[in-house]
Amino acid sequence: MKSDIDPHSGRPTTGHEWDGLKELDTPVPTAFRIWLLASFGVCVPLWLLYPAWPYVSDYTRGFLGYSSRDAVEAAVADRARARTEALGPILQGDLETLVHDTALKSAYQQKFSVLYRDNCAACHGRDRTGQPGFPNLADDHWLWSGSPEEVEWTVLHGINHTSDDTRYAEMPAFGRDEMLDRTEINAVTDYLLHLNAAPHDATEAAIGAELFAENCSACHNDGAVGGLETGAPSLVDEAWIYGGDRASLQQTLIHGRQGVMPGWQERLSPEEIRMIVLYVLWANNDDG
Amino acid sequence: MTQQATRIERGLTAIVLFAVLLLGIAILGWGQQIGYVLHGWIIALVAGWGLLHQISRLSDPEAAIPLAYKDDVIRWGILACFGWGIVGFTVGDVLAWQLAVPALNGDIDLTNFGRLRPIHTTAVIFGFGGNALIATSFYVVQRTSRARLASEVAPWIVLGGYNLFVLLAVTGYPFGITQGKEYAEPEWYADLVLTLAWINYLVLYLRTLARRAEPHIYVANWYYLGFIVVIAMLHVVNNLAMPVSITSPKSYSLWAGVQDAMTQWWYGHNAVGFLLTAGFLGMMYYFLPKAVGRPIYSYRLSIIGFWGITFLYLWAGSHHLHYTALPDWVQYLGMTMSIVLLVPSWGSVFNGILTINGAWDKVRTDPAVRFMMVAVLFYGLATFEGSFLAIRPVNTLSHYTDWTVGHVHAGALGWVAFITFGAMYKLVPWVWRREGIYSLQLEAWHFWLALTGTLIYVGAMWNSGITQALMWQTYDPVGNFVFAFIDTVDAMRPYYTARAIGGFLYLLGALIGAYNIYMTVRGPRLAAPEPDRQPLPQPQPGG
Repeated sequence: MKSDIDPHSGRPTTGHEWDGLKELDTPVPTAFRIWLLASFGVCVPLWLLYPAWPYVSDYTRGFLGYSSRDAVEAAVADRARARTEALGPILQGDLETLVHDTALKSAYQQKFSVLYRDNCAACHGRDRTGQPGFPNLADDHWLWSGSPEEVEWTVLHGINHTSDDTRYAEMPAFGRDEMLDRTEINAVTDYLLHLNAAPHDATEAAIGAELFAENCSACHNDGAVGGLETGAPSLVDEAWIYGGDRASLQQTLIHGRQGVMPGWQERLSPEEIRMIVLYVLWANNDDG
Repeated sequence: MTQQATRIERGLTAIVLFAVLLLGIAILGWGQQIGYVLHGWIIALVAGWGLLHQISRLSDPEAAIPLAYKDDVIRWGILACFGWGIVGFTVGDVLAWQLAVPALNGDIDLTNFGRLRPIHTTAVIFGFGGNALIATSFYVVQRTSRARLASEVAPWIVLGGYNLFVLLAVTGYPFGITQGKEYAEPEWYADLVLTLAWINYLVLYLRTLARRAEPHIYVANWYYLGFIVVIAMLHVVNNLAMPVSITSPKSYSLWAGVQDAMTQWWYGHNAVGFLLTAGFLGMMYYFLPKAVGRPIYSYRLSIIGFWGITFLYLWAGSHHLHYTALPDWVQYLGMTMSIVLLVPSWGSVFNGILTINGAWDKVRTDPAVRFMMVAVLFYGLATFEGSFLAIRPVNTLSHYTDWTVGHVHAGALGWVAFITFGAMYKLVPWVWRREGIYSLQLEAWHFWLALTGTLIYVGAMWNSGITQALMWQTYDPVGNFVFAFIDTVDAMRPYYTARAIGGFLYLLGALIGAYNIYMTVRGPRLAAPEPDRQPLPQPQPGG
């Protein structure tokens, strides 16, 4: 077991051999030692300055007295203050006036859209035009009125949501719950198609008109124009949430609809909710 | 190991297999979910088959143990490694395409990203990487100890039990069987199977080292042993859990809240440190000097590297939880240890690269050496990046972005898989006793496809990660986001497409590699007698 000299490097080996493998007895390079010391040279000051080492019931706090929790709380408070200062005056005014403030719209529409896309676009679409099951917000057809205060209420408390002040509106399952039988549902469907000038059976539609008056008009109003007090949509404005073809209408009549809009007051600040309300309403006014 | 001892071992193994068989029967009998019942059948069939096999051998006279290395189990390990590798790379590229084109999940729950993703990670880390380590460690420990594996039965239990674990893991995910811990998804019964296999592995490795004919333990074995010991510790502690009942796979972890998060990332980071690093360094320390025919550059550096890595990695897991509910002191301690960790890591890099001194021509002529050299460079890149990303302010930029994904793949594709491919191109002709690899040209194709794929992948993820981070952090003066989250998703599309193309090239390379291995195995056996040195005979008891 004696060490021999490696002819290529001129260094001695450690004298061992395993399956033909040898090791050179090269000392640890100086650069390696320096680097190791330098690394500790970085670490020791960090240990002194910041929280680092635990002991029995506590840990070293560091000379800077740093705490991430304090740092983040300070940063959040700072930003909140800046926002209130910058946006407060704008957002405390009368919503109706703000909606029609074209200067405000052109200055802030792009900024507010980010908040809308992060929170609302998943259901109502990036361009505010909705998708099947989720209303179009840009077509000036409203379930609960398009007045700014009412829209704000909806965003705050939601529809069919868990909050106490939520709006409540459900389309009953007339078929499944046996309030109307299949022939009656067909008749109501023909009536609705008639109102929308779609192909239909006139006799059936006449029967359907009576059934509608008895069963549906309490919410949807005479002539199916809808009611902002009940949240029942107009069925004659061609703005369908769940579809206005025969199959979709029958699906709605048989199984009902219980769409949910979350209430956002727990997730967004009152200012942010106003930003979203403005952004939504700006899609409906063409004066700017 | 005498024939008598083998017989006793068969008896003990039969008892353990019987217990596992009972577990399988209980699961298939009482289980109430299809995936879980399927697992009961798999466990019962595998354990039952093993049990019958052991019992049938008990009555036969035990064959004399030849004075030769036990290589049959290694061959199966290599096949398992490539099999799982192809599965893992394929699923990985499918996932990459799903991210670029989300509709590719077909809108089916079973092929949803969340269910496929753990199949990819488990198949590549445990299926491909784990089998590569088991196979090469069995080879290395025998050659460098000049001793046959210390058992005729245990190596099969290790390889079989381990692959049963991987199979249970990947078949469970589509059915939703997971405990939701990243890289430790399998539920309690699969964890029990792995525990049994792993204890066998540790005991077998120690017993083989104990009967070595060499006076010293070669450094590769230190790394392999570090890997086995630490993985055992991590696996047991992170998976301590209480099953709800035998009727369901569900269990509840012993840990909760921030302790659970810290335990999980202590596990996660050291799975990287000991499975994907220490284990593969063991591979490097044997196959690289063997392939280039040069001595290790510095014995001292390899030992300092070993203890440095072993000591420091275990502190560093908390850097995965910067700016979370984890106490600040744990974050800073983890961050500083991660900074020092770079020193022994790069010590290993230099030790590997400088070992090639005197044989650099082989990088040009031998694609296997090229694989291993580039692997060491990627190891250097990934460890530098890792220490850098562990610094808290850097982490504010990189955390939760694709930069992390790019970092992991620089290590996984560039280091782990490259060193494995390099080692396998050497090992396959050795254990199957073939002249050499079927085609050096295909081997070179594999290398260039894999390198191109890795560079495209990692480059795309660096770009997307940093773009994401900067977009997320852009505020207007009043603190409003300038970009919505969906805008950052839109911005990722070109990078995700590039990544999927890079992944495809990598998969293509691996398929060529698998074909090359297959043709090598099918090729003619060496006519010459074993040129290898043989294990030395064991001293007989009392003799």
